[in-house]
Amino acid sequence: MGKIAIIIRREYNERVRKRSFIIMTILTPILMLGLIAAPTLMTSIRGSQKEILVVDRSGFVAPELRDSEGIAFRADDRTYEEARDSKPDVFGILVVGEEILTDPRDVQLYCFQSATLEVETAVNRQLSDIVEKHKLNSYNIEDIDRILAEVKSDVALQSFTVESDGGEKASSSALTTLLAYIFGFLIYMFVILYGVMVMQGVIEEKSSKVLEIMISSVRPFELMMGKIIGVALVALTQVAIWAAFLAIAGNTVISLVGGASVLVDGAQMGRMAGNIFGSLPDAGYVLMLLGWFVVFFIGGYLLYASMFAAIGSAVDAPADAQQMQMPVTLPIILSIIVALGVMREPNGAMAVWFSMIPLTSPVVMMARIPFGIPWWQVTLSTCVLYASFLFMVWFAGKIYRVGILMHGKKPSLRELIKWTKY
Amino acid sequence: MPSLLSVERLTKRYAAHTALDDVSLDVPEGSVYGLLGPNGAGKTTLIRIINRITAPDSGRVLFRGRELAQEDVARIGYLPEERGLYKKMRVGEQAIYFARLKGLSRSEATRRLRAWFEKFDILGWWDKRVEELSKGMAQKVQFIVTVLHEPPLLIFDEPFSGFDPVNANLLKDEMLALRDKGCAIIFSTHNMASVEEICDHIMLIDRSRNILSGPLEEVRRSYGESIWRLEYRGAHETLDAALKGLCAVVEEAPGVAALHIAEGRSAREMVAAINTAVEIRSLGEAVPSMNDIFIKAVSWGK
Repeated sequence: MGKIAIIIRREYNERVRKRSFIIMTILTPILMLGLIAAPTLMTSIRGSQKEILVVDRSGFVAPELRDSEGIAFRADDRTYEEARDSKPDVFGILVVGEEILTDPRDVQLYCFQSATLEVETAVNRQLSDIVEKHKLNSYNIEDIDRILAEVKSDVALQSFTVESDGGEKASSSALTTLLAYIFGFLIYMFVILYGVMVMQGVIEEKSSKVLEIMISSVRPFELMMGKIIGVALVALTQVAIWAAFLAIAGNTVISLVGGASVLVDGAQMGRMAGNIFGSLPDAGYVLMLLGWFVVFFIGGYLLYASMFAAIGSAVDAPADAQQMQMPVTLPIILSIIVALGVMREPNGAMAVWFSMIPLTSPVVMMARIPFGIPWWQVTLSTCVLYASFLFMVWFAGKIYRVGILMHGKKPSLRELIKWTKY
Repeated sequence: MPSLLSVERLTKRYAAHTALDDVSLDVPEGSVYGLLGPNGAGKTTLIRIINRITAPDSGRVLFRGRELAQEDVARIGYLPEERGLYKKMRVGEQAIYFARLKGLSRSEATRRLRAWFEKFDILGWWDKRVEELSKGMAQKVQFIVTVLHEPPLLIFDEPFSGFDPVNANLLKDEMLALRDKGCAIIFSTHNMASVEEICDHIMLIDRSRNILSGPLEEVRRSYGESIWRLEYRGAHETLDAALKGLCAVVEEAPGVAALHIAEGRSAREMVAAINTAVEIRSLGEAVPSMNDIFIKAVSWGK
């Protein structure tokens, strides 16, 4: 254990002090903020209002058109041809035909610049509403507006799982779906970012020829373990910095750019979240989920990182490693796909099997746990995951040592057993 | 002197060839054991087995009389032929890292490292990255890394390659000083001149076998017996004719010949015979250089 701690320390310190690490740690949140802020900024500086002339032959549309953000309507008494030939300094001319009530296609938008989807959608939506309203009004129903407001409703379905003891437990497949996506994505991101870091560390050791000294000082298992855990700590540090950075900077940006649009988005988000968490389960249940998340997330990272370590041990140059990454990242993608299927049938044969196979279990099991599954399955899956991680580290260590020294001799079973004692 | 390390009948086979075939050796404390042999003879395999980097197919390695275990690796200092340090890591930190992996505490490692750096007058390198050092400088650091934990057994694989003569000499003196402190040193090389200077015992490995071993002086004397070097004035043919049956004549240069006395004949008879044929300018027993022995022993095996 002592030697592993020394190795972890070196792996951590060397990486955290690297200039590239510091730059990436600072740059990434700035880039991400940029990505988030750019669309918001762009909508807030949408630029000049687009003016649209309305040639209304139906007689009821033009007064009902409301100026919206970015679009202003101006009624025009001339015919379309007259208006067009006067070359007005406007975005376009909207021609509403007399037959609009009976023929929904009797309306045209002529643009002097190319029409944007945004304008088309906005105009189209307004026209539909106006026509609908006009038609409703023609039935002469009293209090039509109030009735409509009352009729409008947002159903929020609350779903529960009936437990064997007769009690009910709130469940939310939307939450589960969201979690499965997040878990899958997080594991994928961690593996790609930091698994590759482990792999490069192993390759560096080989290319700088330190490995002979290392092997004559420590067991390859200790070396691999130290590397994987060291990089895991680097990952945690980096992610923690990013999270803090984003939380602070995000708040600042929202209050600065603030604007109505962001607030509207915020409100919408809130409503969506309300739908998802509408049946928010009790705290114990959330803690249980979080606990299992930590267990499976760490296990998943460790297993995949050790596979990357094995790849690093088997190749001599980063270029060779590139191709080998594919088979390692594929199971993650597969597990996300399977996880979505699992949500339709959380206790089907496919779900059970894929939540036991260590390569897919971190994502698939996390998709199943919210549905409530037998405890022995979770326990077994956890054990399999961690056992295969340990095996993989050991295996990576073997490749590391044997790969360079065997000179193409195929190890027999007896030899492998002998190696394990070394 | 008791043996620090005994290697008993090691054999190691790879897919296509045998790297070691029944090799045994004993390294006493306070001595330098020279491991000689042409490229690919099996020296590095032997060293790796001693370091527990690879396992033998049969045979065993004894350290202080009992079987070598993983823990004993901390009592070995190994300078591999393929030198390597972490390029981005700072020199001082790196040396301390390796020393700690060998079981030294941080403070102890720092203290010893400082002493070595002062001795070599390289304290200024402490905070440099390895990639900023020249190859020779990096080798010096590597030497210090090898000996820092003061192991009783040191293994140097081609330690002088890449050093200029001044630094090679410095290194040689350090090796001898370590020997005098009681360290056992295994020293693998092709450089025969350095073997003569520092080895107490040698073993010559050729094509995975031990073909010649023993204390250096004994080996040299056994090869030196019955070989004479003659400088003369006269015709080569007459000398040949006069010595026929008495000794083999190898013409080394015009007027210089190496003479190998045949079994059962004496130097006296040879001198008398030479005298009758040519005029002797000088005649002396030849002590062969390790280089001669190396070439001769290896070519005999073929």
